Amino acid sequence: MMMTVQILFIIFAPFLFLGIINRIKAMWAGRKGSPLIQPLYDFLRLLRKGEVISKTTSIIFKIAPAVNLSSVIFAFLILPLPAIGAVISFDGDFILFAYALGLAKFLAIVASLDTGSSFEGMGASREVTFSTIVEPAFFILLGTLALLTGQTSFDAIFNLLNSSAGYTVLIKILFAVSLIIMILTEGSRVPVDDPNTHLELTMIHEVMILDYSGPDLAFIFYSSGLKLVLLSSLLAEFFIPSNSVFSLIIFIGIIFLTAALIGIIESLIARARMSHVPQFIFLMTALSLIAFAVVISFLRGGL
Amino acid sequence: MSYFLAGILLFFASGMITIFLRKDEWKSIIFLIGAIASQFLILPTLFSSLVFGNSFSTIIFFSEPIGASALRLDPLASVFALIITIGSLLASIYSFGYMKQYYRGKYSLSTFYFFFGLLISSMLLVVIAQNSFLFLIVWELMSLSSFFLVVFENDKEDVRKAGIYYLIAMQIGASFLIAAFAWLSNLSGSYDFASFKIILNTQNYIAVVLFSLFFIGFGTKAGFVPFHTWLPRAHPAAPTGVSSIMSGVMIKTGIYGILRIILLSGVPEIHLAYAVFLISFATGVAGILNAISQKDIKKFLAYSSIENIGIIGMGIGLGMLGAVYNIPLIEALGFLGAILHTINHFIFKSILFYGAGIVYQNTHTRNIEKLGGLIKFMPVTSMLFLIGSLAICGLPLFNGFVSEFAIYLGLAKGFSYTSVSLNIVMLIGFSGLALIGIMAMVGFTKLFGIAFLGTARESLHKKPEEGSSPLLLPMIVLAVFIFVIGISPLLIIQILYPVLKQFMNVDIESTLGSVLSLYSSLSGAFILFTGITLIIFLVRKYFLKNKKVKQFKTWDCGYQVESSRLQYTGSSYSLPFLELVAELVPQKTIVESQHDIFPNEAHLKTSQHDFAERFFVQPILKFVRKFLTMFAWIQSGKMQQYILYGLIFLLIILIWIFGAL
Repeated sequence: MMMTVQILFIIFAPFLFLGIINRIKAMWAGRKGSPLIQPLYDFLRLLRKGEVISKTTSIIFKIAPAVNLSSVIFAFLILPLPAIGAVISFDGDFILFAYALGLAKFLAIVASLDTGSSFEGMGASREVTFSTIVEPAFFILLGTLALLTGQTSFDAIFNLLNSSAGYTVLIKILFAVSLIIMILTEGSRVPVDDPNTHLELTMIHEVMILDYSGPDLAFIFYSSGLKLVLLSSLLAEFFIPSNSVFSLIIFIGIIFLTAALIGIIESLIARARMSHVPQFIFLMTALSLIAFAVVISFLRGGL
Repeated sequence: MSYFLAGILLFFASGMITIFLRKDEWKSIIFLIGAIASQFLILPTLFSSLVFGNSFSTIIFFSEPIGASALRLDPLASVFALIITIGSLLASIYSFGYMKQYYRGKYSLSTFYFFFGLLISSMLLVVIAQNSFLFLIVWELMSLSSFFLVVFENDKEDVRKAGIYYLIAMQIGASFLIAAFAWLSNLSGSYDFASFKIILNTQNYIAVVLFSLFFIGFGTKAGFVPFHTWLPRAHPAAPTGVSSIMSGVMIKTGIYGILRIILLSGVPEIHLAYAVFLISFATGVAGILNAISQKDIKKFLAYSSIENIGIIGMGIGLGMLGAVYNIPLIEALGFLGAILHTINHFIFKSILFYGAGIVYQNTHTRNIEKLGGLIKFMPVTSMLFLIGSLAICGLPLFNGFVSEFAIYLGLAKGFSYTSVSLNIVMLIGFSGLALIGIMAMVGFTKLFGIAFLGTARESLHKKPEEGSSPLLLPMIVLAVFIFVIGISPLLIIQILYPVLKQFMNVDIESTLGSVLSLYSSLSGAFILFTGITLIIFLVRKYFLKNKKVKQFKTWDCGYQVESSRLQYTGSSYSLPFLELVAELVPQKTIVESQHDIFPNEAHLKTSQHDFAERFFVQPILKFVRKFLTMFAWIQSGKMQQYILYGLIFLLIILIWIFGAL
C-alpha cells in the first residue's frame, strides 16, 4: 500500500512540482495562476501531437530524449526512498547515480548540436560550462558524506546519517543549501536560467530543446520535471528519520517545500547576468568544502 | 614461450620482407598476413598466462657485455603484450586500407612496414625483457622505429620538426632510464631485474631517487606532465595507423615500466605514493584542459591521451597509497583501475584515432572548424566515433566507466581511514576525477558535435564518403569490446585476477572476492538500465505510431537567412568554459587590420598555450640552450681547428701511454 503510494507519487510529482512553482509565482505576483495540474495537461497534449523534425538532424536527435528519461528513472532506483528502499544498492552506487545523469547530459548536448542551430549551440555551450562547476562540487558533497559516515552507498550513508545526531545538523544544513544550488542549476531555474523566457540570448536549457516537438518534447518536459523531483528527493533523504511511519509523509512534504522554495526564489530574485552565474554556482563548491572541513575537524580532531 | 618469441620474430620478418617486394599492394597484403599469423603464435601463450596465472621464462645468451638475459612473461607482462598484439593486428588491418592512398606515391611503403614491424616486435620485447641491458636496447629500438614512422611524410617540414622533437624527448627520457639502470646494476652487481628487488625494497633515499629517475624516464614515454610536450606534436604527424598504435599502445609501455618498478619495489615510500598521485592528477587536468582548446582532431586526441594517462596514474598512485597504509581493498581497486583503464584507453583511443583518420582521408583537413555534418556522409564512422567519445568520457554502459568506477570507489573507501592527509588527498582525487570527467565531456561534445553534426561549415572539394571496410572493421571490433567490457566487466576482470595477485601480498582472496561481487552487481544495474531505456524507446514508438512526422528546416527563430556559417563553431562552443580557466590555458590573440576610413580586410589569429610547456618546459630549454651555446665555439666550422683537435687528442693518448709505461 505504502509502496504503491510512493510509486504513484513519484510518477505524478513532476507535474505537481512544476505546478506548485507556477502557483507560488502567480500568488506572489497577485495573479490567480493556472491549475496546479496544468503541467499534466500540457504533457498529455504534447503526447497527442505529431512531430516536426529538422532536416539537419540525425538519429542522435531522436534517441536523446528517451535516454534522458531512462537515465533519470534509473537514478531514482538508486535512491533509498521511504517505503520502497533502494532498488539498486551496492558499494559506490552514488558514482553511478552521478554518471547516469552525465550520460543523459552528454546526449542532450550532442542532440542540440545536431540541429546546427546557433541558438542551440549557445545553450549547449553554457549548459556544459556550468556543469563543469556543479559536477566536482557534487562529488565533494558525496565525498563528505562518505567521510562522515564511512560508508560508500546511498542506502548505508542515509541509514547512518539519519540515526545519528549532534553536529550533523550543521552539516545537513550546508548540504541542503548546496543541493538547492544544484537543483537550481541542473533544473535550469532562476537565477541560473529562466524557463519562462523564449528566444532570449540568456537562456540555457530551453534553448537547447528549441527544435523538439510532440512526444519527444513531452519526454524532455517530463524528464526535466522528474530530475527536479529526483534532486529534491536526494535533499529530502537528509531529513527523513529512518524507520518511521511518517517518513513517507515527511518525504512528500519536503519535496513540495522545495518546490515552494524554488517558487519563492524565482519570485524574489531575477536571473543573474550570464557572467555572474559561475560565481553563484561556485557557492556550492565553497559550501561543500566548508562541510568537508567541518566534518574532518570533528572526526579527526582538528586539521 | 618459444611460440611467443616466434610470433615476435614473425612480426619483424613480415615487415622485413616488404623491402624485397616491388608492388605496394603485395607489401600490404604480406604484412597483414604476417600480423594475423603471429596472433596464432602469441595469443595461446598469453591466454595460458592470464587465465591460469602461468609464468614463462627463458634465458638467452648474448655475447658480453649483455651476457645471459632473462625473458620472462608474467601476468603483468601478458596484459601489456595482449594490448600490443591485438592493437597491432587492428592497426595492420586499418593500415591495409589506409595506406592505399600512398600506393605508388612519393613515400616508401617498405620503410613504413619495416619500421612498423620493428616497432611491434620491440614493444613486445620491452614487456618481457628482464635484463636492464637488453631492456634498454629494445626500448631504444622502440623509440627509433617509431621516430621513423612519425617522419613517414618526410618532405613536410612540420613533420620533420615533430619527428626531431619526439626523438629528442625520447632520448632525454631514456637518459634517465640509463642512469637509473646503471646505478641499480652497479649496486646489485647484476643486470637482471630480479636482483634489483633487494635494493629497491630498502626504505632509504637511494630507493626514492631511483624511483624518481624511473618515473621521469618512463613518464616521458607515457606522457606525464610536464614531460608530455612531445605527444601533441608527434601524434598528428604520423599516419593514422601509427598514431593509434603510439597513443593507444606505445605510451602504455611507460605505464608498464612504472608498474614493473613498483612490483620490484614492494611497499613504496609514503611521499612517493602521494607524489605519483598528485602528479597524475595534474596530468589529467592539464591534458584535458589543453585538449578542449584544440581545433586539430589529432592534437585533441593526443592531449586526451595525456588526460587518460593521468587517470591511469591516479589509479597507480591510489594503489601505492593503499599499499602504504596497508588497506588491501584500496590497493586492489587502485591497481585494478589503473590496469583496466590502460586496456580501456587502448580500446577507445584507437577507435577515435581510426575515426579521425577516415575523416582526414575524406576531407584532407584535421581542423574541426572547417568540418560539420559528416554524419550524413559517413553514418557508420560517425556512430562508432560517438561510441568512442561516450566511452572516453567514462559514461555508464561503456567501458570507460568500469575502470574509472574502480578508482572512484577506491578513493571513496579512503575516506573511512583515519589519516587527515589521506582524506584530503582522496577528496582532491574524488572531486578531481569528476572534474576531469566533466571536462572530457566538454571536449568530446565539442569534437563530435562540431565535426560530425550540424551542416558543413566549409565546402569541400570532394563529397566525403564512408570509410572502406578494412578501415571500419577494426573500429567495429573495438566497439564490440567497448560494450562487452562496459556491460559485463567481470569477463575482463577475471583475466586481470593473476595480475592483481602479483601486486597484492596480503589477504588477496577475500578482497578480490568483494571486488568481483561488486562488479557483478554493477553489471546487473547496467542490464536494468538498458532494459529501462528499451522500454522507453518502445513507449516513444507507441506514441509516434500513426502520427504525422514532418521534416522541416531547423527552427531559426524567424531569421530568414539560412547559412551554415551561422552555426556555433568549436571555438565559440568552448569559449565560456575556457574563459573560466583563462589563467591555465593562456590565449594569444593577434589581430592584423589596417585602420582606415573604410573597413579593410582584417585577420584574426588565436592560439592557446600549453601552461606546463610555457612556464616549465620552455624556461628549462632556454636555460639549456644558453648553457650549451657557451660551448658553441668548439664547433666553429674551421677545418684547421678540427685538425688541431685531432692533434691534441693524439698528444693526450701519447702522454697517457708514455705515462703508463
